[in-house]
Amino acid sequence: MENILELQQVSKTFPNADFVLDNVSFSLPYGTIMGFVGENGAGKTTTIGCIMNTLSKDSGTVKLFGTEMQEEDTALREKIGIVYDGDNFPPYLTAEEVSQIMQGMYANWDPALFHQYLQRFHLPPKQKIKGYSRGMTMKLAISAALSHHPQLLILDEATSGLDPIMRDEILDVFLDFVQEEDHSILLSSHITSDLEKIADYLTFIHGGKLILTETKDNLMYHYAVLRCRESQFLALDPADILAYRKRDFQIDVLVSDGKAAQRKYKDVIADHVSIDEIMLLLVKGERV
Amino acid sequence: MNGLLKNNFYAMRSNGKVFSILMVLLGIFAVAMDNDVQTLIDGYMLLGMIGFSLCALTTPYKENVGKWSKYKLTTPVKRSQIVSSYYISQLLWLLVGMIFAGVGVSLSIALHGYPFDRNTDLLMLFVVGISISLFMGAIFFPLFYLCGEERSEVFLVISGLCGFGIVLGLSTLINILFPHMTTFQIILGAGSILPSRCSPSFSPIR
Repeated sequence: MENILELQQVSKTFPNADFVLDNVSFSLPYGTIMGFVGENGAGKTTTIGCIMNTLSKDSGTVKLFGTEMQEEDTALREKIGIVYDGDNFPPYLTAEEVSQIMQGMYANWDPALFHQYLQRFHLPPKQKIKGYSRGMTMKLAISAALSHHPQLLILDEATSGLDPIMRDEILDVFLDFVQEEDHSILLSSHITSDLEKIADYLTFIHGGKLILTETKDNLMYHYAVLRCRESQFLALDPADILAYRKRDFQIDVLVSDGKAAQRKYKDVIADHVSIDEIMLLLVKGERV
Repeated sequence: MNGLLKNNFYAMRSNGKVFSILMVLLGIFAVAMDNDVQTLIDGYMLLGMIGFSLCALTTPYKENVGKWSKYKLTTPVKRSQIVSSYYISQLLWLLVGMIFAGVGVSLSIALHGYPFDRNTDLLMLFVVGISISLFMGAIFFPLFYLCGEERSEVFLVISGLCGFGIVLGLSTLINILFPHMTTFQIILGAGSILPSRCSPSFSPIR
């Protein structure tokens, strides 16, 4: 399958900071949605900065549409829509003015489509953005990101600050977007229920390191958590253990094949595992 | 570039409105007063040119409040175009300041007569105002990008002082080296200074 986005061994350090983005590699195929999951400070925004060239990476390669994006590649950036968490646009602008500015930046800017989104999301075009709620500013940013007909959407916590009903509507917009075979979305989010609804792939990052990238179906239907007592835990083959976490009288063990583990360890309970639980085990748990 | 210039205009619009109102009120006062003592009209002209330029320099700082400056880097514009757009916007606002200065001094001359000693004095006032403004931009934008936006207020002050300092220094040097310049030499000298500062392509941060 061809990839719209490919990261190979991307690293980034910051002067006077402990944080290091350490050899991050993953790829996003055409026509899919990837959830990019990690706690605050895990490196999601830094990774997105390296993808979009707003941060200069120390090493590694980032390929967008099969080529490495350089400063001069404005045509490549025409094909990408981005939404950052928080204030994407200055508060002194109105949505109408955002459209006028974008029209001067993007060759394919579609004012009619932008106004359709404004109407759909009930955003007043002539009101200054400083009067918008947080949810409204996010909806405006999503409208702007979609209105130049991009092929790749990169969304950094784009659904945070939205109420569940609006989040559901936005997720439908994203699903509509990837109906086109050459469209893809990289969606960084803390809200794992959103990712469970729409993502095809999930990539987990923690402390600047990529810890897992997997299809959502595989995670949901094959991954499992074994509820073990200490003696049962000690009997497990270390090769089967992805991560484990000790609780009061129980040890939760994440395995990549729940059915195989159930067959192998008959006295151990194997439960289905949620994305939240996988994240907790990978981030807070220990490795063998 | 079109979108960037619109963006800079919107960023400057509020300050520009306030400053325009101030210039109109001061202009009424400066024009109404007798221009025997020419410092009032001199001050009005310099204020117009330098003031509008100074307001234009606040644009990148205003944009850094949210994520807009980062967002712009993800759009199909080059970093050099973003920087150039600031210089061009500053020139456009300087032009607005020059129009205010020009209208003010014209009305004052029409009402009260020509207040300056020499014919070239009026030209030199424009040259001083334009030079200070352009030197301010030439100092502020590189400092802003090289040293970070969190110090932009102090850079604004530094660039203003440096603009004044450089122009005063240059004037002193020219007066020492060429004490008896003809009108033609003065015009030629003034004309040669301006284009060298007007081009953003000379910026070290492109």
